[in-house]
Amino acid sequence: MSSLDWTILIFALTSIILYGLYKSRTSKNLDGYFLSNRSMPWYLVLLSIMGTQASAITFLSAPGQAYTDGMRFVQYYFGLPLAMVLLCISFVPIFHKLKVYTAYEYLENRFDTKTRTFTSFLFLLQRGLSTGISVYAPAIILSSLLGWNIYWTNLFMGGLLIIYTVTGGARAVAYTQQLQLVIIFAGMFMAAYMVVHLLPEGIGFVDALKVSGKLGKLNVITTGVNENGFDWTDRYNIWSGIIGGFFLALSYFGTDQSQVGRYLTAKDLTESRLGLLMNGLVKVPMQFLILLIGALVFTFYQFNQAPVFFNQVQVNKVAKSSYGDSLKLMEQQYAQLSEQKKSVLTHWLKDNSEASEQQFKSLHKQSETIRDDFRKVLNKQNVSGDRSDANYIFLRFVVDHLPHGMVGLLIAVIFLASWGSIAAALNSLASCTVVDIHKKFIKKNCTEKQDYSTSRWYTFAWGIFSIIVAMFATNMGSLIEAVNVLGSLFYGVILGVFLVAFYLKNIKGDAVFASAVIVEIGIIILFWKSSIGFLWLNLVGALGVIVLAWLIQLIIGQKVKRAN
Amino acid sequence: MNNNPEKIPVFKSWTHWYVLVIAFLIILILLFNSFTGFFA
Repeated sequence: MSSLDWTILIFALTSIILYGLYKSRTSKNLDGYFLSNRSMPWYLVLLSIMGTQASAITFLSAPGQAYTDGMRFVQYYFGLPLAMVLLCISFVPIFHKLKVYTAYEYLENRFDTKTRTFTSFLFLLQRGLSTGISVYAPAIILSSLLGWNIYWTNLFMGGLLIIYTVTGGARAVAYTQQLQLVIIFAGMFMAAYMVVHLLPEGIGFVDALKVSGKLGKLNVITTGVNENGFDWTDRYNIWSGIIGGFFLALSYFGTDQSQVGRYLTAKDLTESRLGLLMNGLVKVPMQFLILLIGALVFTFYQFNQAPVFFNQVQVNKVAKSSYGDSLKLMEQQYAQLSEQKKSVLTHWLKDNSEASEQQFKSLHKQSETIRDDFRKVLNKQNVSGDRSDANYIFLRFVVDHLPHGMVGLLIAVIFLASWGSIAAALNSLASCTVVDIHKKFIKKNCTEKQDYSTSRWYTFAWGIFSIIVAMFATNMGSLIEAVNVLGSLFYGVILGVFLVAFYLKNIKGDAVFASAVIVEIGIIILFWKSSIGFLWLNLVGALGVIVLAWLIQLIIGQKVKRAN
Repeated sequence: MNNNPEKIPVFKSWTHWYVLVIAFLIILILLFNSFTGFFA
């Protein structure tokens, strides 16, 4: 990195910390610290919701996902707008009416303490771990590409934001997210412009789309149906996106405190609803554009020599082993094919002939085979570290091909996106620990000042926990998938509990608690023993809890009748 | 009794907002489908 890059990076990060501290003035009680005195307008709620969901992983992994698997990942978000509508109809009015701090408080009103504590525990478990991954994901990529020490990078990634998150609570989180998103969108827009700008002369945006489209990267809509019928193991298709994605989004926005805590900061129900509905309108197009950058980067690398495997640190590790020579040979073959591809592609775009197109596709297939073989050789060696290169593609492009200044700006984007989601997660983890655990089981009667002080200490403690998890996280493949898989293991069950609470008034606490525990164990076994697409786990978990709770309640009801 | 009824921005009821969000999603899916077909 040049001195200009360092200046931009340090300036952006320092500005955010100072801005966060400046906006830290809030009432020294739980309402002020966790819910910003319920005073936020809808646009701040919207930016906070978006900033919480869009972590660094979104901006690093999503373009890489489009590069390797095409744009079909966008279908994962199709259920989100539908979930926003249902949330506005059912969940949000109840949370506002009861003036809860956490979503799980409502479950005690509706069921009992054990159900509230169990769901809160599931949330703390999955959110605590996934926040650790959110620290690790950008840190490992930055450390690999720039040669930074991973432990220090983890510490900076997860540590600096603690300064304003501990000091300013939800208010500082919301205001910094606003500024962070402005910088993030500016950075991503400039990156998209640069990809097209760096294409050879005479090759424009539409040509770039044509190339990536012909090679299957613009597969935005897929049905998941193959010659054997519907493929349940296919992760991203329109049906898993609409149905599985709907349940995942409903669970994430309706029952995950990191999101519930954002829209509870709104000054009234209208502002919460508007923030959520706007999110339903902008999220899918936003994700489409981020993936499109990945598809454009793919085209860029059809005209320029791409690394066979983008995670060079892993390549270097295996290159020292007995497989070193075969890796070198494959790299040479890949480079030769790349030269041929470039020449054929230029020819094809000029003459537009079927023969050139087929020749290019054939060469591309050969180079993909080499990439697969290369990956297999890397995996044969049991070396530690990240074995996927999807997360490295976008940043590798940035570091290798963008001009000075842009590199610093885009690394700042990674830090800021990461901070936005981690800060909200720490705030929500602390609010659940204080409201659902500490004040419930450890110290019930505290003064406002004690509550405030305890909340700050828990925020700090969760920050340290996340950094510790990040230090141990490794070998998880695509990190955007890892976070979503982790969420899907728990979200379905939590959602099932809330759906029973809202819509099945005859089912009581004992039945829903027993079913939640049984189904959660079942979901973990199902994930472990089968290859079902993870989005379906949300549907199975939610429906499982509903059906089992209904059956258990039926049995309990019959027993009571017999006893009477 | 609530003397300060919820003021809904732009539309007369929230249902109109919900229809807008769902209709926008349908339009996006149709556009994406055309996009996929066009460049495939």
